[in-house]
Parts: sequence; structure tokens; C-alpha cells
Amino acid sequence: MRVDFILNGAPCSADAPPLARLLDVLRETLRLTGTKEGCGEGECGSCTVLLDGTPVNSCLVAFGQCEGRSVTTVEGLSGSGPLTPTQRSFVEEGGTQCGFCTPGVLVSLEALRTRDAHPSEGAIREAVAGNICRCTGYARIVAAARNAAGDGEPE
Amino acid sequence: MTSPPLAALPFVSPSGLPEVLGLLADRSARGDETVLLAGGTDWYVDRQARLPLPGLPLVVDLTRVTALRAIDLHGERLVLGGATTYEDLRRSPVVSSRAPLLARMAATVGAAQIQARGTLAGNLASGSPAADGVAALAALDADLVLASREGERRVRLADFYTGYRRSVRRPDELIARIEVALPGLPSRQAWRKVGARGAQAISKVALAGMAVVEEGRIARIGLGMASVAPTTSFLPSVRALALGRSPGELSGSALDEATGRDISPIDDVRSTAAYRLHVARALVRNFFASLG
Repeated sequence: MRVDFILNGAPCSADAPPLARLLDVLRETLRLTGTKEGCGEGECGSCTVLLDGTPVNSCLVAFGQCEGRSVTTVEGLSGSGPLTPTQRSFVEEGGTQCGFCTPGVLVSLEALRTRDAHPSEGAIREAVAGNICRCTGYARIVAAARNAAGDGEPE
Repeated sequence: MTSPPLAALPFVSPSGLPEVLGLLADRSARGDETVLLAGGTDWYVDRQARLPLPGLPLVVDLTRVTALRAIDLHGERLVLGGATTYEDLRRSPVVSSRAPLLARMAATVGAAQIQARGTLAGNLASGSPAADGVAALAALDADLVLASREGERRVRLADFYTGYRRSVRRPDELIARIEVALPGLPSRQAWRKVGARGAQAISKVALAGMAVVEEGRIARIGLGMASVAPTTSFLPSVRALALGRSPGELSGSALDEATGRDISPIDDVRSTAAYRLHVARALVRNFFASLG
């Protein structure tokens, strides 16, 4: 099934089975391997992407459901431009440990930043509650998110 | 990678409810299976677990059927489209003001990624006794509107389940709406979910409670408890004990006895029968204590 959608801000047309997981189409068909597979059952959040601006687990989304919709992966957060404030802050604060959960965490935090430029620590923790970090480095993830908000420049 | 059977399944994505009901009617008349797919938060998990699919079902995507995704207030009835998501519940001003236990429940389902996709009708149709949404709707004594090509019928949630993951819904029906008669007076509404951790946990026990206290007496009571029986428990003995009484005259031992009569918890991967009974009694006691 050919599906036309917006991928990272640009029109995209891809051919894959309609019930293929969006995750597999992104990684295998479109070769966007920033989005990771962890648990494959909607628990770990490694495969988080934005669907029409909202974080979802791409392991639970049918590719056929994406017709006409907008999908943003970690590759699309800054595109070829400079890092987003959150990405820069992750580098500066050591918010990335092994890195496997990082794409999903960044996607969740970008969605939060769009809604709330200066989120509270509670809002940050809730935004990444569905992103499990096995390095258990949440303190640095939260610190990085807070620091990014401190930069204060809207994109 | 997607397993070959999944890739082979036929898929349609209609935008109108009549088209969906027509497909269900025609296919069920022939004995063909149909999968109604909304957020996929249960269905894809079952596929990952390699649970068998019955036959070669047609998968009907419901995410384009906008008629199923609306929250309305009709007089004192709250009407929730079947495809209402947990995020929709959290963001709805009318839900937050009139049925706050639904918003509180929604905030404890999975995390943001699941709340954006999972739907009330999906929760109801999956029929897990651990379903948060079903326990919350039980406390509000919701009615379900089941739609088919023949028309609609209304089923009380209390009459919907016939056993573990079994219901009175026919193969040609879908859960079009959920309706709640809102409590007319200020009500106390509570949601308490006990799990291994805050986010991404399925409950060991959860309690939804709604009570209207009028001139010192409990004039309306609704309770729903998850993960303590083959289907969501409505705690009928506890309700009968409480109705018409003042919260202060309900003894802890009487509440404990009624709670014990209403539930049949088991040992499983998430908890034990003994712990569940203990927690269930504590949640019930705490709810009535909160009524002052």
C-alpha cells in the first residue's frame, strides 16, 4: 500500500504493508534508524515519534493509519540546522548515557517544549514517564531539559 | 520486522460510521472475522506476543471516523464517543469539571504515548479486568451504546460483560458511545491505582469511587474496582451497605466484610490474592473515610 504523508516536514510517499508497524517502515523502508526498537510493546518509549505533533509509540502505529498525517522522528527535530536547545543541553549536561533511549526522550521533550516553553520539573518528568532509561540517568535527563528551558530562545 | 501474516492482512480505512457498520454486518453474516483497530495499544501488543489471529480478518481502521471521537454534554448526560482517547479525557474541560475521576484515571494509563492513542471503546472491548477505563466508567454506572447496521441498542455497563474478556457485544456491533448520567449534586469522585510504579504500570488493584452525600446521607454511590475478579467489580455489597447511610456509621469491619464478599482476587504475575484483598479493603475504607 502506498501511503502519502509528511515526514519531518517534507512530503513523503512510501510503499509498505498497511499493517506494518510505522517503526519498521521508518527504519527498514525509509532507513531512518534514529528511532529505536526496545520492547516492541508500547512500554519503553524508545520508538517515540510525533504523529501530528503528539508523541506516540511507533511500534503500535499501523503504517496505513499515517495517510495524510505528519510524522516527525528524531532526525527531524533539528533537520540539517543547528541542534535544538534541548539537544544542545543534552550534550552539555551529559543527558545521554548509552544513548539508546535518547531519540525517544528528545522527541517527547520537544513535544513538551512546543506546549510549554518553561515546563516545571513535574511536567518534564511526566513528559518522559513513557521513556524508560535503563542507565537510570533520569536526573541528568531532567537537568538537561530544565537547562534547555533556561536558554529561553523560542525556535 | 512485521511477521508475514500481519503483512498479508487486508486493511481499510473508512471515514464514515455507516461504511464501518456495513462492513461489520456483511462480514459477520458470512462468518468472516473483522478487527476494529483504533489506537492499537492492545492489538499490536498481542501481535508482538504472537497470539493467534482468528482466520484472516479484515482490519478496519477507526482513526478516521471522526463521528466516534467527540465529547458532548447533553443536559446532564455526558456523551463520550467510543474513540475518545485518554488524552481527550484529560484535556476536556467538561470532563474535568463534571466527571473528574475520568480525567484522573486517564492520567494514570500508561504514559503520554499510550494516552494519545488508547481509546475508551478499545479498553471496553478488550475487556481486561485490569482495565482502568472500565473501572472508572463502572463507578459512574455508564451505559454503552452498541451500534450496528440494524440500529442502536443501549446496554448498562453492569450487564455488558458475561465473563473473562467476554461480553454481550455481537460481531456486527461496535461500541459507538459511552453515556454517563452525571451526578446532579456536588459529588466526591476518587481514583486510586496501586501498581508497581507510577507510569507504565498495570494495576495490582484500582478503585474508582463516586458518591453524592445529601443531608449527611449517601444518596448516590458508584464503585468500580480493577484487577480483583474475572471482570471489573461493581462492588454491589459495598454499594448496598453504603446507600442511604451516613459515612460515619459505616464501620471498617462491615466495609471489609462487604469488600471481601464482592471480589475474588488471584495470585498472578503482578500481585497476590492476599495483597490484593488487603489493598482493596484499604482503598474502600479510605474512600468512605474521605466522605467525612
